[in-house]
Amino acid sequence: MADFDQLTEKVLRGFASRTSRRSVFSVLGGMLAGAASVPLLPVARADGRSAAENPNSGERTPVYSGNPQDPGDQTRCDYWRYCAIDGSLCACYGGSVNACPPGTEMSPICWIGTCRNPADGRNYIVSYNDCCGGILWGRCNCQRNEGDRPVVRAQNNNEITWCFGVKSQSYTCTVSVILGAEPEKK
Amino acid sequence: MSVKGIRTALPVILGVLAAAPSFASQRFAHPLPRDKTGVVLTLPAKYPTNWAFLDYASERIEIRDVGDDSRRVIGEVQARDSTTMLIPKDRPEFYTADTVWSRYTRGTRTDYITVYDKRTLDPIGEIVLPGRKRALITAQQGMFEFTDHERLGLVFNFTPAASVTVVDLVHRKVLGDVDIPGCALIFPSGRIGFSTLCASGTVFSVKLDAAGHVVSHSESKPFNHLGHNPLFTASTMIDGVRYFVTMKGDVQPIDMRHAAAKVLPSWPLVTPAERAAHWRPSGWQLVSSDAQGELYVLMQAHAHEGTQKDAADEVWVYDVATKQRLRRLRLVRPGSSIALTHGAKPTLLVQADRRLDVYDPETGALIRSLGLPGLDTRLSIEPVR
Repeated sequence: MADFDQLTEKVLRGFASRTSRRSVFSVLGGMLAGAASVPLLPVARADGRSAAENPNSGERTPVYSGNPQDPGDQTRCDYWRYCAIDGSLCACYGGSVNACPPGTEMSPICWIGTCRNPADGRNYIVSYNDCCGGILWGRCNCQRNEGDRPVVRAQNNNEITWCFGVKSQSYTCTVSVILGAEPEKK
Repeated sequence: MSVKGIRTALPVILGVLAAAPSFASQRFAHPLPRDKTGVVLTLPAKYPTNWAFLDYASERIEIRDVGDDSRRVIGEVQARDSTTMLIPKDRPEFYTADTVWSRYTRGTRTDYITVYDKRTLDPIGEIVLPGRKRALITAQQGMFEFTDHERLGLVFNFTPAASVTVVDLVHRKVLGDVDIPGCALIFPSGRIGFSTLCASGTVFSVKLDAAGHVVSHSESKPFNHLGHNPLFTASTMIDGVRYFVTMKGDVQPIDMRHAAAKVLPSWPLVTPAERAAHWRPSGWQLVSSDAQGELYVLMQAHAHEGTQKDAADEVWVYDVATKQRLRRLRLVRPGSSIALTHGAKPTLLVQADRRLDVYDPETGALIRSLGLPGLDTRLSIEPVR
């Protein structure tokens, strides 16, 4: 698994370093432009943009990875990595999908889920680490329970405040960190 | 109208306005009496059974009148993190177990039990819990329980090492700790003691003496299939037997009348056809019971992995003696937590998102609906006994 992790990290880092977000969008945009000419009308483009993407909407801004292999808005509960989460999404609190907000501390002890990535069809082991010691105020609550089990099997339970080994056990939000992909079947 | 006209009319308008109070005072001959200041309401020593405690996990605990169309809030006490409560039947006080930090989200952590006067809701006592280890889990059954006829309180700890702190609630002092490695939550068993569910699939029972020391312990054979069909940890007691339900739709009774919990034969909630249609229990506080021994379970159709804590569409009612389903109640809104009130004519309380719906448990008719403003997470319901 460690080798696979390193390989995955190397591939993704290589992809990220060679490929800017804009270039990904430009390639995707070119494909979309080629595929359909009707939506190029200004009205159609305006309608096609979600309210949240409109900078004047006052709504939460969507956050995308920019990597087509990691699709979805990371501030929304239906993002694929959040399949076993129960809590607030750190991407809405100044953190990101896998980093805690400033002023908090990430608990090294966590619970584990297995989520299917719709882009590459692989199952990934995801650790849900709580960020602790900051303010919780109810933004981006998300409750999904695939693989969640009662507190009796603690490592698969998402109701526990997983703030252990940190200065404060007061819960703020939860990140979703990819630990690795399920080994390929031979 | 010219400026001159306005000047002429102005005194008339002002005169009419000045006369208006006199018309009103003719209608109401006397002014309102002066109010007393400094009045604070109190509650009866014995609460009526149409009241219920509502635990908004980590926000507040509210006492509501669920038996009257006034739907009024009776009173509230504070809750900070994973707050749980114990309401004695006859003692003039009740207890909450809570955790705070000296600087709101940081600073020194204190775990403590507050003793509230039932009549005034004043905090009249406090028991500080040692070790800063009280379990911080969404408030649920099994985190804070009575034993020894409500004299002792048991607090579940998780660091993630699991243990139970034994507290003398009458003398307001901590008696000691019992380690329960690999196990979780507290289910009172025997005269003084408790049982707990373990990761090995067993139930582990501990018998205590009056001083809170362990006298003996025992462990069942594995019966809880934690991977594919685990027991929900919400449960309800009927005649000394605790009824759990499993994720895939079975009932698991455990006899708690003696020091060693005895696992009784399980039985299905669903027919083979209903099992094939994926009717399963789902929700949060998803089971309840009444004085007649009827078991109420929140049920959901088309259930699958990941929906086990979703709100459910129906409540199914069983006679636990005959193991037969008596009726199905279809909810007007999907419900997550249920409880039956304890009066002469019980009602079924169903938390459905930010509402508490009150049903007739016989007919399934909706009687009234209460708003639950500010509810963002799970709700635990404890009707007054």
